[in-house]
Amino acid sequence: MQTETKNEIVSKVDSFNGINIYRIETGIFKTGSVNIFFHDNLNEKNVTKNALLPAVLRRGCEGLPTLQEIALKLEQLYGSVFDCSVAKKGERHVIHFYIEHISDKYASKEDELFKNSFNLLLDIIYKPVLENGVFKKEYVDQEKENLKRLIQSRVNDKVNYAIDRCFEEMCKEEPFSIYEYGRIEDLEDINEENLYEYYKMIIENHPMDVFITGDTDETLIYDAVEKLKSLKRNNISELDKSIVTQAGTEVKEITEKMNVNQAKLSIGFRTGISSDDEDYYSLLVYNGILGGGMHSKLFQNVREKESLAYYIFSRLEKFKGLMIVSCGIDFNNKEKTINIIKEQMDEIKKGNISDYEYDSTIKSIETGMKSLRDSQIRMVDFYLSQTIAGTNDYIDTIIEKCKKVTKEDVIKIANKVSLDTVYFLTAN
Amino acid sequence: MNIKTVEYKNMNEVMHIYEHSSGLKAFVVPKKGYSKKHAAFTTHYGSINNEFVLPGEKEPIRVPDGIAHFLEHKLFEQKDGSVMDKFSALGSRPNAYTSFSQTVYLFSCTDLFDENFKLLLDYVQNPYITEESVEKEKGIIAQEIDMYRDDPGWRSFFNLLCAFYHNNPVKIDIAGTVESISKINREILYKCYNTFYHPSNMMILVVGDVDPDSVFRQVEESIKVKESIPKIDRIFPEEPIEIKQNYIEQSLAVSTPLFQMGFKDTPEYTKGMESLQREIGIKLLLEMIMGKSSKLYNYLYSQGLINNTFEFDYTNEECYAFSMFGGESTDPKRVRDEICKEIERLKKDGLDKESYERLKKAMKGRFLRSFNSIENISHTFISVYFKGVYLFDYFDIYDKITFEYVTELLHEHFNMSAQALSVINPS
Repeated sequence: MQTETKNEIVSKVDSFNGINIYRIETGIFKTGSVNIFFHDNLNEKNVTKNALLPAVLRRGCEGLPTLQEIALKLEQLYGSVFDCSVAKKGERHVIHFYIEHISDKYASKEDELFKNSFNLLLDIIYKPVLENGVFKKEYVDQEKENLKRLIQSRVNDKVNYAIDRCFEEMCKEEPFSIYEYGRIEDLEDINEENLYEYYKMIIENHPMDVFITGDTDETLIYDAVEKLKSLKRNNISELDKSIVTQAGTEVKEITEKMNVNQAKLSIGFRTGISSDDEDYYSLLVYNGILGGGMHSKLFQNVREKESLAYYIFSRLEKFKGLMIVSCGIDFNNKEKTINIIKEQMDEIKKGNISDYEYDSTIKSIETGMKSLRDSQIRMVDFYLSQTIAGTNDYIDTIIEKCKKVTKEDVIKIANKVSLDTVYFLTAN
Repeated sequence: MNIKTVEYKNMNEVMHIYEHSSGLKAFVVPKKGYSKKHAAFTTHYGSINNEFVLPGEKEPIRVPDGIAHFLEHKLFEQKDGSVMDKFSALGSRPNAYTSFSQTVYLFSCTDLFDENFKLLLDYVQNPYITEESVEKEKGIIAQEIDMYRDDPGWRSFFNLLCAFYHNNPVKIDIAGTVESISKINREILYKCYNTFYHPSNMMILVVGDVDPDSVFRQVEESIKVKESIPKIDRIFPEEPIEIKQNYIEQSLAVSTPLFQMGFKDTPEYTKGMESLQREIGIKLLLEMIMGKSSKLYNYLYSQGLINNTFEFDYTNEECYAFSMFGGESTDPKRVRDEICKEIERLKKDGLDKESYERLKKAMKGRFLRSFNSIENISHTFISVYFKGVYLFDYFDIYDKITFEYVTELLHEHFNMSAQALSVINPS
């Protein structure tokens, strides 16, 4: 992976022992960042442990054995920012460790912010606080409790809850339905010993990606790579690709009741197209025309014409070839809204796409793609997704490919999109 | 054209200023190498301005709650259709937001900046509101209001404001209620527009890789009004110093209770450098009392009383000021008691000088980091501008502020009789 564009250079610095190291060189920011990802298949066996691991590791490391001491250290490093979490990318589960530091050029020489931040991140991952040769029991117990609450608190955010739940019902028999923060019923059997064993397996056997961003000096990056070479690594596991399937013949209808003031409607579709498919760019344009912004058919008709919703959009899950339409509406407007959404999808099938809708979509995709360059974390996410999907796109190539998509291509896609699940969150 | 340039060498930033004859000021903060260009046209008018005197009249009028936000929605409507369509055709993303004291119209684009900017300048100066479109908008905004009614974070915030304030309009939801917006019509919307959308009450900010001269030339050509008007007479109700109540709660569909608590502050220092100094001073104190490196945070966390969602902030505006902190907790009252206990202890034992120095540096670094984001620069620049200060002024305050001043603030601001707690319980 090497390309040179107007504003950034993305390059693969090195690759060994199942670790790929990428550098995104850019001089426009006040900060640089280091991102370390561990990859796993999304499955019921591992998901809860994967979610718990970063929560336990962030509690302390050798030399800085408490949350308080880590926070203090970050403050000393001119306010470096550290975080860690898990994410799901299709049927891939990713554990993410991240540190962002003020660029060395804005600090005094002896601060050595890149070097110290990088070392702190490695210490947090590789030198956890141990008790009797395993994780500290107190930390594991507390983080189990925190994770349980985190899983439960998913209902607090109704907008995202309604999207997650629709995908969950839709993919009930597939790994994609698994919630990225895991399952409460798994927590009981996890303890400081088996989690530590599991941790060793993850750090030694699982594929890793490292992204370093900013304008850090070449020699410092070289030193960092040398450090990564000394990590203990064993046979690296092969991971699966997300499975893309077609919709079943019967549409699933799910209604959930809660004490809410506004109903949420989410409709899940299968496209059968994954991001390494040639048709993927046509799908991007299709999604843009349907619900990808203010110019889209759904925004114009459901919101502007009928005043049914404040927000409505369609969104792709690119690894699984899924599409979701989501909106917040009055409890009584479910059928009316569904009918308009279906009508608008039929319009695209019939080829009723105005030049305005088509051109605005292409331009909006272009703006969105170029805007990625203004955020280090979003650029990292973009290139991480490329490595997971096995695609070799860059910001500019995606724009070029979308520009080549014709209205006929979009109509072809419209006929591949099939309704799978209607999810409705409503009042008691 | 008279353009002033201010350099902030230690931050590697520059600001260009142009003042139009109408009194409107325009600013450019160039960000070389960035892809996005971000422009905002702001009026010093928000949800709290629900009582004022119309230009040329004597008696004040009281307008329906939520009208500033309603007007923000309606400005997108133009004689020849929605201005959103025109922005979309240019591939840019128009947006707008209404806060307590400002309404901001903005777009971000990567290409065709001049065309987009012209569009922004034109539509904000040319309202086209019909009775029919006002009625249509009521349905959309009703859905927006209902969405926020289900947002526990938003609700606990406004409930806290209701606990702090007896009369101050800051306690009213920015979008109003379904009932209050039902009273809005074309005529009142124009009254508000004519009062608050005069260029002398507005400002323009562009952040991104643009040419300042060309931006200012466009401003000069497009602003039609050439004279400024007298100061707008804004009326705020009398507000007692005391809080209204120290506890408020509501039930919603949440799993764990959520809480926000804080201290009502006297809005005496809300202008100029003094306001920034107070803001940084109190934020430093909040870091020292309950930041991630504090003893208290670690105690509460290890007791399972708070989690990662715990955050704090301080707000200091023209007629209100308060500190606020909270997150999820199984026992908000216990958290409140522990926080109050720690504050009393610090008042007695004194603050730690070493933590003070370390946190000052960390906050300065994190402030510098905020300049990575064009949206952040724009948002913060606008939010402090009408206080008579620039975003960049924060940086120097970190060097000027003193330990003695911060100690004084500890005793002055964290006054137990001004403390209130707002809780959202699972239903």
